[in-house]
Amino acid sequence: MKKWKKGLFSVGIFALGLALAACSSGGNTNETANSSSTTADDATFTYAISGDPSSTNPINTSDRWGLTVTNIIYSPLVIVEGDGTTKNALAESVEPAEDGLSVTVHLKKDVKWSDGEPFTADDVVFTYEQKAKKENGNADQLWVGDQPIKFEKVDDYTVKFVLPQASAAAVNNIATETFIIPKHIFEGVEDFSVNELPENPVGTGPYKLVEYKRGEYLTFEANEHYFGGEPSIKNLTLRIIESADTTKVALQKGEVDAAFVLPSDVADLDEKTITTYPYSENRVGYLGLNTKSEALQDVKVRQAVLFALNKDELNQAAYLEKEYYEQPYSFLPPNNPFATEDVEKYDTNIEKSKELLKEANVSDLKLNLAFSSSDPAQTIQATLIQQQLQKAGITVTLEGGDGTAIFAELDKDGSTKYNLFLGGYIMGNDPDLYGALFETEGSANYFQTENKATDELFNKAAVELDEAKRKELYNELQQAIADDARIYPIVDNKKILAVNNRIGNVEDAGLIPIYTFEDVSKLTIK
Amino acid sequence: MARYIAKRVLQAIPLLLVISFIVFSLIHLAPYDVIDSVTTPNMSPDRVEALREKYGLNEPFFVQYATWLTNIFKGDFGYSLVSQRSIAGELAVRIPNTMKLIIPAYLTALILAITLGLIAAANKGKFFDKLIDGIASLGIAIPTFWFAMILIYFLGYRLNLFPIIGMNTVGKAGDFNDFLAHFIMPYLTLTVAFFPELTRYIRSSALQQVAEDYVTVQRAFHATKWQIFRRHISRNVLIPVVTQLGLALPMLVTGAIITETIFGWPGVGPYLTSATRSLDYPVIMAIMLLSATLVILGNLLSDVLYSVVDPRIRKGGKE
Repeated sequence: MKKWKKGLFSVGIFALGLALAACSSGGNTNETANSSSTTADDATFTYAISGDPSSTNPINTSDRWGLTVTNIIYSPLVIVEGDGTTKNALAESVEPAEDGLSVTVHLKKDVKWSDGEPFTADDVVFTYEQKAKKENGNADQLWVGDQPIKFEKVDDYTVKFVLPQASAAAVNNIATETFIIPKHIFEGVEDFSVNELPENPVGTGPYKLVEYKRGEYLTFEANEHYFGGEPSIKNLTLRIIESADTTKVALQKGEVDAAFVLPSDVADLDEKTITTYPYSENRVGYLGLNTKSEALQDVKVRQAVLFALNKDELNQAAYLEKEYYEQPYSFLPPNNPFATEDVEKYDTNIEKSKELLKEANVSDLKLNLAFSSSDPAQTIQATLIQQQLQKAGITVTLEGGDGTAIFAELDKDGSTKYNLFLGGYIMGNDPDLYGALFETEGSANYFQTENKATDELFNKAAVELDEAKRKELYNELQQAIADDARIYPIVDNKKILAVNNRIGNVEDAGLIPIYTFEDVSKLTIK
Repeated sequence: MARYIAKRVLQAIPLLLVISFIVFSLIHLAPYDVIDSVTTPNMSPDRVEALREKYGLNEPFFVQYATWLTNIFKGDFGYSLVSQRSIAGELAVRIPNTMKLIIPAYLTALILAITLGLIAAANKGKFFDKLIDGIASLGIAIPTFWFAMILIYFLGYRLNLFPIIGMNTVGKAGDFNDFLAHFIMPYLTLTVAFFPELTRYIRSSALQQVAEDYVTVQRAFHATKWQIFRRHISRNVLIPVVTQLGLALPMLVTGAIITETIFGWPGVGPYLTSATRSLDYPVIMAIMLLSATLVILGNLLSDVLYSVVDPRIRKGGKE
């Protein structure tokens, strides 16, 4: 009793001390309250990002925030929407040749750079030539086979891309994610492999960069020459906040206008001031099976594992509400135009799982499961998988660790350290890009699968120019990979963007994978 | 005196080398390297190999270590592998930001601790001692990140007194009032993080003094407790405080990692945490080495100061 009183008393004193400390600074709080409210001024949209962009050089950037910044300052020829359809940006039209050996792009005519100079075919050719150089670090998509694509200026507003051999994936790969940079500014740059170019960026995007304070913020100002029309919000700030908790409070308080939140945070946000927009990033979160590991070499054993799982349960637990996820069944995300559900879905069937194990002559199966212990969704799913497999008599030991370290291990040739692993990928739109994961020689073949039949299908589909036939091939491929039981696609989890209600037109600005806003200029302040 | 200092400095050099070696080997032992963080699935193996060569990651261990160490002697901490920026340049911006936060917080904590510690010692076993002990226990038990979030929630959000992110409002760099508003919450967090242990330390040093013979003598001369504490104990307690000051040196770089990350303060904290996440090991190594060096220098400094304050130690050094 006495101890309890003492404790309470110290808490009281402690709180009093705090209050005093807070008051003692009262002299300038009035002013600061004013100054902090000015951050939410009528001319500025503040978006919280979780770290510095790794690279702000449009030629080689490939990280989320680097691409976000690039997309604000520069524009590509064509934008790919979440559902795989394309929309012209700097391009007026894109015409693939019938033989599949070239693509002609006509450019919009009255586009100006943010410094007022006209935009022409020279800029496009200059940009692509820099990007196609292997040493600059982002050339892979501009090479077909072992040869680079060639770029020709036809006239001031027409560029022809000449492919060394027919490629169905090329049209998509050429047009997207290459942000055109002005030749007249960057002509003198010798090395484009750096992460930050020394020149002041001049672009055709909706905003111009004003200031970049590392670790703090990037500020932008509307580009009056923007070809999509001058943005209605004059200033844009990307504020760097590492801590997710702080971001949440800053959002609630109005210090920032928009940020990503987790499904579990949504209930805490006040609906009157904040609206959440869940959207798909076409990510596939999956359980991978290491086909090289001794216990899982028999396809029947792998199928037995998959039949014991319950996808619904895994997703309900990790993402709470149906509106925050979709369930994929093949290795392609559900929004992908080539995705099919006509594959073995492995609906939960414990009996079948046990039967398969018996057929394979396996009893008392013991597996380990690697997952990133700093990822809350994976942690929940890993423990559930352990329970679910237990029902089929499969014992799972959990091996939580650092995600990067786990995948570095899986990347080693012939690694058998982990039987099962949780991972995820965002590979883009053309299904050919997924070959990196599923081809025997693929650079991200963590499943360690050697399967000639699926390799063959990938090769055939990559060069098939007839859309319907190509689709047929990919259907076959998705079925084959599902039957092979090397990947159990669990979820296409959505990103949830929380935005202060004073910001309007969020849906018109287009929520797309990686860049968040397709065209940030469409946002308005109410 | 000079001989004593020289001897200590000479002793520190091999220690620093050993530490640099340990830091380098530990990072080298990690099951992955920075290449894993810059490669993407659609990068060809040739390109990955080229990157390895470019960063010297295919050289033998000792060659890599020697290159790294020689560069450090030239004041070159190398470049961040992720951002390509000079680490020394980046630290030159960030360390002052960290110091702006740490120094006031540490000094406040120290003053608070000296006052509370002496009061507690003077009232040993009585109410005030128990109270101060209670506060200190609570302070030690409270995790920094939790306390920071409580401040953010109440002072920043509910009462809306202070802005919660960064060191300045965008576009107001250099505005002192604006800085102060951003400064108060992280400052309070750190003060609360620093003072409890210092208080305990000072209380126990003061109690040691109380047990000394000279106090008994003073008591025999009917000196009041107030006089004894004011004239003698408070002065003698300053000697251990000097030790603490030296030991606090490494905090100038790494003392506020959690607090800075939570408040988005552009100091060393967020730099180190993001480097750790992206396996940017030259950055991690530079900060670890810097911090370890400061530990050694801090020890050295506190010993030297100690010998200045207490001549008996100096004499001990000569024998």
